[in-house]
Amino acid sequence: MSERDKVLGHADEADGIEEFDNPLPTWWLGLFAGTVMFGIGYAVDYHFVSHRSQAGDYAAEVAAAPKPPAATAVAETPEAIAAGKEIFVANCVACHGTDLHGGVGPDLTDATWIHGGKLAEITHTITVGVPEKGMLTWGPILGPQKISQVAAFVHSSGGGQ
Amino acid sequence: MATVLWGLVGMLVGCVLALQLAWWPANLSLPWTSFGRLRPLHTNAVIFAFPGNALFGGIYYSMQRLLKTRMWSDKLSAVHFWGWQTIIVLAAITLPLGMTEGKEYAELIWPVDLLIAVIWLVFAANFFGTIAIRKVKHLYVAIWFYMSMVITITVLHVVNNLALPATLTRSYPIYSGMTDALVQWWYGHNAVGFLLTTPILGLMYYFLPRAAQRPVYSYRLSIIHFWALVFLYIWAGPHHLLYSALPDWAQTLGMVFSVMLIAPSWGGMLNGLLTLRGAWDRLRTDPILKFWVAAITFYGMSTFEGPMMSIRSVNALSHFTDWTIAHVHAGALGWVGESVFAMLYYMAPRVWNRKLYSVSLATTHFWLATVGIVLYVVAMWSAGVTQGLMWRAFDDGGLLQYPNFVDTVRTLNPFYWIRLGGGVMYLVGMLVLAWNLYKTATSAPSNALEA
Repeated sequence: MSERDKVLGHADEADGIEEFDNPLPTWWLGLFAGTVMFGIGYAVDYHFVSHRSQAGDYAAEVAAAPKPPAATAVAETPEAIAAGKEIFVANCVACHGTDLHGGVGPDLTDATWIHGGKLAEITHTITVGVPEKGMLTWGPILGPQKISQVAAFVHSSGGGQ
Repeated sequence: MATVLWGLVGMLVGCVLALQLAWWPANLSLPWTSFGRLRPLHTNAVIFAFPGNALFGGIYYSMQRLLKTRMWSDKLSAVHFWGWQTIIVLAAITLPLGMTEGKEYAELIWPVDLLIAVIWLVFAANFFGTIAIRKVKHLYVAIWFYMSMVITITVLHVVNNLALPATLTRSYPIYSGMTDALVQWWYGHNAVGFLLTTPILGLMYYFLPRAAQRPVYSYRLSIIHFWALVFLYIWAGPHHLLYSALPDWAQTLGMVFSVMLIAPSWGGMLNGLLTLRGAWDRLRTDPILKFWVAAITFYGMSTFEGPMMSIRSVNALSHFTDWTIAHVHAGALGWVGESVFAMLYYMAPRVWNRKLYSVSLATTHFWLATVGIVLYVVAMWSAGVTQGLMWRAFDDGGLLQYPNFVDTVRTLNPFYWIRLGGGVMYLVGMLVLAWNLYKTATSAPSNALEA
């Protein structure tokens, strides 16, 4: 107890607050040393041993993820078109308008096709999107079947080539 | 007492925002009352107005006693007080009008930034002037913590707000792209560190041993954790930019310095709690000690949680979710708020030389605040983890399971109502505090207390 709970005698210079000078708790020192060693070890491992990087981690995750089958053009049957219309109303009208005449997004009824007006081209554009212009990448959201149907609807509704 | 007033305003705005998140019509369809404009008002009020004024009050109170010296200049103190209140009023006008620099916690436009710099330097001059003419040789540890705030905030504020003015209300930062983001989060992270952590630790080192009438546990620990804390804290900012365009090495730096911060932060917690040895029995009756223990506990929890959230793999889940909101509120309501309350209940009777109007009301406030925080934080933890898991959920075909953002919002709505409930409890606690202090100030003087 000689070391412990011995006051330093500063109280008259600290508004009456006394201070002990107890040793640092061992577990606290261990924690500090441990986190410092973890920090150094982690940094060395990440950059120089495992050679990890943000881009590398991303590529590995994409490679490991299951691939959704690509959407293929379906026959423009009345059933497919009707199903496509429902999907269009639920997801596309905000930008392309209820009458497909466009708004935020381009008009889908005229003869001008920025990214191609063939059924396969429309399917592709919907799947990968045009992110730089605000068109979402619908592939992972809708899935191949729904994309085929909505493409069939768009293709059959006016300007399709 | 500006603290209480601005605290009430800040938290009222916070509760309105909580309601807006749970129930969108509360945006009132007015631009001035929309979430995007009120949110910076809320954060500025609960960072710079409520704790800001409390810190200044606590520092003026404790440093004059610790140094046995009247402030160097009472005039500068007054300029500081009125200047700071002017800044807050300007913030309350400009932010709802949509005038902003677009930097989080540094939204205020450049003329207000200049005023902040001037007023802050007035405070700094007065602070160091008083230290220069002090009547004691030894500088108590609390003063060291205050100094770290005065110096660091000056540097942070000036560097982050360097901008070229275009008009009276608009300016462009001198940094661009990633550099701007990194400077911003170097500022943002350390504004929390050196305005809401180190000075409040300093106040704890004064007000806790005074209230408990026990010696501080370890002088050695206070010195070592002080230097470790201020040295490591300043490097941790990049952890706000994990998985961004920031180079990998800088992200690693931010993460490992955050992890190394656990022990230095906990040094303050240990010294606080161990100082209470021999005074634990008084916890049952003394609301001031109750507030301190709860505050220090929230501090210990938040300073463990923060480093965990800085770890890359945890951050991948927690980033951009309500988990972050839970973390900051445990810190702001738990550590900062309850420390401030403990300090106010200690100072008020001594400043006015009156007995505290009601100890039982103070205890009621303690329970309202603590239960309020717990409700808030648990709701936001649950919401945050749910949100993070829903965003990353894929089905067997490799498609997003919740492609519509609205799906997550619908799921989280009940948590938002619980959060509002917790927030309202905390606000009611503040009203109880305000009433208690008002009655104390207007009661008959009593000399029952020691000076």
